[in-house]
Formats: sequence, C-alpha cells, structure tokens
Amino acid sequence: MEKADLSHHILSRFNADLERLRTSVLQMGGLVEEQLTNAVQALVNGDTAAAERVVGNDHRVNGMEVSIDEDCNRILATRSPAASDLRLIVAVIKTITDLERIGDEAEKIGYIGSRLATMERPADRYREIKHLGHAVEQMLHHALDAFARLDADAALATAKRDRMVDEEYEAIQRQCITFMMEDPRSIRRAIDVLWVARAIERIGDHAKNICEYVVYMVHGKDVRHIRIEDVEEELKSRSRSSAS
Amino acid sequence: MSRKQSFQVQRLSRSGVAWQLFMQVAGLAAVFLLLGWVFGNMGWWLTLGLSLYLFLQLRNLWELDRWVRFRSVLHPPDLSGHWGELTALIARIYRRKQFHKQRVANLLREFRRLTAGMPDGAALLGPDNELLWFNQKVERWLSLKRKRDVGLRIENLVRYPAFVQYLERGDFSHSVTVLQSDAQQRWLSMHLVQAEGSKQKLLIVRDVTHEIRIETMRRDFVANASHELRSPLTVISGYLDALAEDTELEKTWQEPVREMRRQSERMRALIEELLQLSRLENSGDMSDSQVVDVCGLLTFLRKDVLSLPVRPAEINLQLDSDVCLLGAETELQSVFANLISNAVKYTPNEGKVMIRWWQDPDGGHLSVSDTGIGIAAEDLPRLTERFYRVDAGRSRDLGGFGLGLAIVKHALQRHDATLTIESELGKGSTFICHFPKERLAARDVPIVVT
Repeated sequence: MEKADLSHHILSRFNADLERLRTSVLQMGGLVEEQLTNAVQALVNGDTAAAERVVGNDHRVNGMEVSIDEDCNRILATRSPAASDLRLIVAVIKTITDLERIGDEAEKIGYIGSRLATMERPADRYREIKHLGHAVEQMLHHALDAFARLDADAALATAKRDRMVDEEYEAIQRQCITFMMEDPRSIRRAIDVLWVARAIERIGDHAKNICEYVVYMVHGKDVRHIRIEDVEEELKSRSRSSAS
Repeated sequence: MSRKQSFQVQRLSRSGVAWQLFMQVAGLAAVFLLLGWVFGNMGWWLTLGLSLYLFLQLRNLWELDRWVRFRSVLHPPDLSGHWGELTALIARIYRRKQFHKQRVANLLREFRRLTAGMPDGAALLGPDNELLWFNQKVERWLSLKRKRDVGLRIENLVRYPAFVQYLERGDFSHSVTVLQSDAQQRWLSMHLVQAEGSKQKLLIVRDVTHEIRIETMRRDFVANASHELRSPLTVISGYLDALAEDTELEKTWQEPVREMRRQSERMRALIEELLQLSRLENSGDMSDSQVVDVCGLLTFLRKDVLSLPVRPAEINLQLDSDVCLLGAETELQSVFANLISNAVKYTPNEGKVMIRWWQDPDGGHLSVSDTGIGIAAEDLPRLTERFYRVDAGRSRDLGGFGLGLAIVKHALQRHDATLTIESELGKGSTFICHFPKERLAARDVPIVVT
C-alpha cells in the first residue's frame, strides 16, 4: 500500500502546514466524537443538563469548520499543491463538511434528548438507540483512525459496516410503528425516537463518506456511489498489477 | 580489563607492527642479497626473495580478509607471526563488542518485559508528540499497534478534546481524566511527564475506573442518606414544635420537649449542611455564573450578626473596593456566612471581628480576622477536613459540626479561589479568600446612597 508521505517537501513550512491541517481535522473529529457520545448518553440517561450542554457546544464544531476551511483556502492559494497534497486538501475540505453535519445531527439528538427527558421513559430505556448509537460511534472512531493512519483497507472495512447500521435503523423504525399502532398515546414519543434513530443513521452515512475520502486520498480513486465489494476488487487487481 | 586491552591495541598499531615488518623486510633482503653475492646475480635473487615474501603476506591478508568478512569469530584462521597476533586482537575486540551488545539487548528485553507487566500504561512521545514507543497496556487501552502507529502523532489517534487541550497547554502539573465511550466505559487518567531540558515526553496512563466508581458511590450515598433522613425528621420536629407550644403540657415534660426540639433542630441543620456539601461536590464546573455584589452581601451578613444576642462587642466592615464577583450567589453567601459565623463563635464578647474586602492586581481578597482563641499550628492543615474539630467538646457546645470550612473549601474551589489561614493561639485568626482577577466584574450599577 502506498502511504502518502507528507514529509517530502523541501519547504518545511509547507510540510508543517499540511501536518497541522491534518491534526486540526482530527481534533475537530475528536470534538464531534465527544458530542455524539454525550448526546446519546444524555438521551439514554434522561439527563437534561448534559443534553443542553451538547446543544450549547455545537458552535465550537462550527467554528473549527470555518477555521480549517480558511486554512485550506490559504494553502491552495499560496502553495498551489499538486498530486497527493492536492488530494489531501480536497479530502480535508470534504471531511470537515461531513464532520460539521455530524455535529449538527448530534445537536439535534441533544435537543430531542432534552425534550424526551421530560416525558415518561419506555420500558426498554432506549436500549435500541443506545446500541445503534454505539455502533455508529465505533464507525466514526474507526473512520477517523483510518484518516489518521491513511489506511485505505481499514477505511473500506469501516464503510462496509454502514449496511449493518441501516438494517438496525429499519428495525427501530418497524418497532416504533408497532408501538404507535398499539398505543396512540405513545405516538409523540415514538416520533421523537424515530427522529433520533434517523439522525444516528445519517451520522453513519457521513462516517462512510469520510472513509471514502480516505480511499480517495490514498489511492486517488473516487469511490462514491460504487459498491464497496467492487472497489475492493479493483484495488486488489490494481495492487496485483503494480506488484507484477 | 578494557583499559589494558586498549593499551595493547595502541602499542601494536603505533609502532609494533610497522617497525617489526620493516625489520623483517630488511632482514630478508639482507639474506637474499647475501645468497645473490655467493651465487652471483644479486638482482634476481633479491627479486625472488621479495616476491616470495610478498606472496606469503598476501596469502595471510587474504585469509584474514575472508575471516573478517564471514565473521566466524569462533574459528580464527591459524596464522603465524604478526598476522596471528593481529587476528587474535581483532577477535578480542569483536568478542568484547558482541558481549556489550548482548548485555544491552538483554537489558532492553528485560525492560520490555517489565514494562509489559506494569499495571500502568506508558508511552514515549517525541518533540512533535509523535509516538516513539509504548507498552502493551497502552496498546490495549488506546487501541494502538506498535508496527502501525509508531511515528504517528498521538493527538491524531487519541482525540479526546480534554487530552488534546492538556497536551497543547503544556502545563503537566496534574493529570487529565477521560472516559472511553466503548463497551467497557473505562476511565483513563493521563499524566505527561517532561524532564527538564528534554524534548521528549513520557505519557503515563492509569485505569481509574474503580476509583471513580467508589467516589461516585460515596457521593451518592451521602446525598441519598441525608435526603432520606430529612423527611422523617421534618415530621418529628413538626410535632415537637406543636408540643412545645402546648400550654397544657405537664410541667415535668416541658423541659424534655424543649431539649428534644433543640436537638432535632440541630440534626436538621447538620443534614442541611451535608446536603449542601454534596450538592457542591456533585455539580461539576460552574455553568451558572452571575454578578454577585460582594459589598451588599457583606453588609447584609454584618447586620445579621449584629442582631445576635451574644456577640463580640465590635464587628467592623471595611470595603476598600466596590468590585463584584462572578459566581453563584448562594455559594458565595454560604462561604462568607460560614467564615463570619466562625469568627463570631470563637471570639469572646469583649473581642472584635474585622471584615475587609479589597482588590489588587492579583485579584479580589476577602479577609475575616478576629481576636478570638486562635488555632494551633498543628491543626491548621486538617482544618478543612469534614467533621474535623480542634476541640470537639467546645465546638459542639457552640453548635458546630465541623462541616463549615469543608463547605467553604469546596465552594471556593469551584470559584477558582484559594483560602489562606493565619492564626496564633490565644491572639486570634485571619481567614483570607483570594479570588483570581478573571472572577472580578466591575459594578455596572452605581451604589445608590439612601
């Protein structure tokens, strides 16, 4: 596997700029991860204060997106990077958009969570939401790890898990519909739970996008809207042909 | 031993080999010249002799070269004369080097084994916070892999915002605790250590899940127990109140009922203080800061004290600044009230209590000094522990539980403030609260003099 080598520039300032850019993207990722974890935790525990804290922290994520975006523009304008450096910058610009959207979804979960905390809690104490949230947290974590290590294989493996998240979302959806039919009084709460599940599922999609940007960054291949198995097949045949 | 060897090496390399070789060549040349003189044709004989000599030397050199190249140290070639000596010398140097290498390798292996068995995680970070080395605990807790992750920056892989902030701030005097959100819900305490003048850092990771769990349990217990005690007590003191006011109560029962009422009142006060303390502990960082008018608060508290039936003769209030504080008003009020009531409690009636609020470049300061009984030096460090009393009997008579200063300490900590205590036995004590200047706020409404 070719590892993008960030230390090949004679201009050490440029190297430092790129390195700092990557680090700040991952820092933003860390903040978003924490937001997501806290939002789901607050919802499951019915902790209004924690949920409101998540809502109040979203501006920090937005601020980081703006500042990283500015850094990217500055590097594009002053250094006119090429090849792998250009791919890195493009991937960064896309990644921070997705991270910001994840932050928004976490804010939404926090908002709904603070409302759900005032209502009666269901018997299962949001076990499904907890489970789905946990799966997506892991996905986001591994996507960012793949970004840090420039590991396309790990990125593809993580992207595959999105399908499982989608299935689990469907299951929650069916369950909510059953609840609503059984007891019309629970419709209000069931709709809120559905919104939360939807937000978490969207976060899974964004994490998958980040994985695709990692593949793009490492292999220079756009893998959006292609089945992951096909991508794997192609990358394998590529590495075979380059090895022979 | 090594000094002796290096001495030999020096002697041989400087004069030994060169001089003896020269003597050999000269001797050989002389012998063949003599043969040439005897048999005639001196030039040919000399050439023949020197060629023979050169051939032998070259053969030895080739042997030596092959031996050094293949490094079969155990089987040095059997060479005669100086070549043999040289071979032995090389073998010795080589053996010594290998011995040291082996020792270092053993030491390293031993070190690795020890750090793997360590209960804590350890990682070495380079000048750019890149991972240089880490042990198995770190590998497991932070899900890193040695082959894959050495050389990567740690903040790219360990992305907890609290940790990244800690790393950037560069103040490593205390550790930072993060919660891992995976299935285990592990609490990890991270502590960085940086040696003076070194650019490398050592990261020590400890699993503090157990400690945190115990601490939470303790807090929950105190909070729940005090809460549960309060409800029955309210009923008891309600009936006692009614009984005490009952004029038809028999004479013999009046005094016991009054005493019961006093004691239940004491118990209620104790539970209130415990609840207040646990509230202070449980509420994390200050999120509800408001502008608190210190001058107004102190004036109000002084008025309260003045209305007491038994009190020191003089209670002075000196306000050198009208600056306000950012904080929680109820907490600050309980801090000031506790300090003032302590001073009043332990000062005789002819004594005096002095309260002063002032501001300097460091921040705002509140001092409460008295001319009371004072505190012995050995009691000072333990003073803010809960239920610690210098003289249990006396303080109980005065209605104290030993919780007041614990409350003061916790409330001040939440306001980033510190408490200093100066005291001399028999002369009196001074308690000073120091608030940092970030906590000060200018008064936006001027004082209206009425």
